[in-house]
Amino acid sequence: MVPVDFYFVLACLIFSLGLFGALFRRNLIMVLMSIELMLNAVNLVFVAAGRAIGNVDGQVMVLFVITVAACEAAVGLAMVIALFRKYGTINTDILRLLRG
Amino acid sequence: MGLTADEFTIQFIATLIKFAIVAGLLLQIPPLMVWAERRIPAMMQRRKGPNRVGIFKWRIYGLMQSLADTIKLIFKEEVVPEGAQKAFYHLAPVFSVFPAFLIAMAIPYGPDIHAFGTIIPLSVIRVDVGFLFIFAVSSLAVYGITIAGWASNNKYSLLGSLRASAQMISYEIPLGMSLIPPVLIYGSLDLNKIVEAQNHFWKWGVFLSPLSFVLFLIAMFAETNRAPFDLAEAEGELVAGFHTEYTSAKFAAFFLGEYVGMFVLSCLASTMFFGGWQIPFIDVQKLDELTGFIGVSAIFGHVTLMLKATFFMWLYVWVRWTVPRFRYDQLMSLGWKYMIPLGLVNVVLTAVVLAAVRFS
Amino acid sequence: MPDFSILITHGVFHLFAALITLCSLMVVVSKHPVKSAVFLVVDLFLLAGLYASLDSHFVAAIQVLVYAGAILVLFLFVIMLLNLQPEELKGLKFSAVEAGTLVISLIGFLITIVTAFKGDQTGLGDGSLDPAAIETAGGNTYVVAMKLLTNYIWPFELASILILMAIVAAIVIAKKDQKKPAAQ
Repeated sequence: MVPVDFYFVLACLIFSLGLFGALFRRNLIMVLMSIELMLNAVNLVFVAAGRAIGNVDGQVMVLFVITVAACEAAVGLAMVIALFRKYGTINTDILRLLRG
Repeated sequence: MGLTADEFTIQFIATLIKFAIVAGLLLQIPPLMVWAERRIPAMMQRRKGPNRVGIFKWRIYGLMQSLADTIKLIFKEEVVPEGAQKAFYHLAPVFSVFPAFLIAMAIPYGPDIHAFGTIIPLSVIRVDVGFLFIFAVSSLAVYGITIAGWASNNKYSLLGSLRASAQMISYEIPLGMSLIPPVLIYGSLDLNKIVEAQNHFWKWGVFLSPLSFVLFLIAMFAETNRAPFDLAEAEGELVAGFHTEYTSAKFAAFFLGEYVGMFVLSCLASTMFFGGWQIPFIDVQKLDELTGFIGVSAIFGHVTLMLKATFFMWLYVWVRWTVPRFRYDQLMSLGWKYMIPLGLVNVVLTAVVLAAVRFS
Repeated sequence: MPDFSILITHGVFHLFAALITLCSLMVVVSKHPVKSAVFLVVDLFLLAGLYASLDSHFVAAIQVLVYAGAILVLFLFVIMLLNLQPEELKGLKFSAVEAGTLVISLIGFLITIVTAFKGDQTGLGDGSLDPAAIETAGGNTYVVAMKLLTNYIWPFELASILILMAIVAAIVIAKKDQKKPAAQ
């Protein structure tokens, strides 16, 4: 069995990359995809930790995370489409109405 | 894993052999189906169909026509459209073939072989969630089509691919829902256990859950983009759909993916509704002991499954030359307004009846 | 031969980990959104492989079915619908060096936290559900299903309501504004 720390380190890598994408990319769809990456890092921690301490609650939690991710993607993409229709772009540098 | 080193070695070698056999089998399907798809309608329409090409003087009903076609297809010049997204254009056929082959690895092709002091299952990948595995991987088949249409940089390709992928996503839901009642009835997600539970003629899924079978049959045709739901390839409107810009071996690869997908769904239909490798009135698993040879049961089971799958493949061709094509809005309203509600009702009804039977 | 199996499991894990990290990196730095989406699909598929290696077959299957099969198709559809062009990566507020330093320090910080401060693990789980126990209890899927439909039944029902709300919300947001027919 691979030590559970290895999985944690891998999850840290994925999470950091996802956070980097969410902060630095300017395409809204890319931001959403980076958020999916972060959620997946958390899922990996849930499964690995659950396996290490010997219970399946982690796996149940992953199912909920996937559900929420699906809802988030659906609503997020709908908003992306609505924004694109209204402003013709989904670049976060241009969509800055609130900042004046 | 709980395996000793010897068992591990045996399983490893067995897996390699099984993989080679299944992959080899799958590669034979497109040529045979192309031949069948020309001979069967010819038979139905009282004409001859291809019957000339043969080896030397043996014509064997024109079977060699497929070989000639394959050679022609592979040696044709390959044209890549100028505005194509090169990397995705070349990758799309791989995305289309890979899921079909991966699913085929999870189908139980026969009863377990008890040999060399261990149990060798007759499916290459034996997972306890085989049913979910098949659906998970088959949902990946959409990517090949979507990416092919998008990367060709052709509006007809893009329209065809969007049509095809929207259709596949829509009909995946009724396809999955139609298989939940059998899973509830047999109480397992493991395909081999589902087959073992259908050990009597009257325990077959088609008798226990006929509505599921009807739904599955319709969704099966739609999922593989075959007539009467072959809107993605509507020649008159879309030139040829998502593979308009593909030539030569890559075009052949899409055909391979499509035919293997059809074969896999045929196998799945046989497994879930027609007892898989079970032969009516004969206990296949006992054949080894009765005859004294190891592997007899496996061969008989395998041949049975192949015969059942052949029936469904024939059905594909039969329906294609009988029923006219649907309109797109008809297709979508059939999927979303009739099949999904029916599927839901079917699941709930089955669950209620099962609960009433088990807890009464 | 216990060494042999350990070698295989470690080798497979490291191979998968390297591929996953590479794909994640490509997701974040690819210029073209379609490229990112395809790498994300590969990434999710590999992660499902890791789940399977952790004896979580059900979660692995659901991961591929829902994530790779449904959510990412949605992303791909939207990207193609909006016909997004490759993004200009120049002119970011941060230079590549600054961004790289930030990411690497973040990774180091997270790894330090995760490996150094594990805290008290007693009482987290009694280890009663190790793989052998799960196998005797009826398999991974059965155990997860029992947990999901007994202990977690309320969250489960709430999740279904959440999905319903998301469906309605998505349709309402994405629907084109229908012009009202002129009153006559």
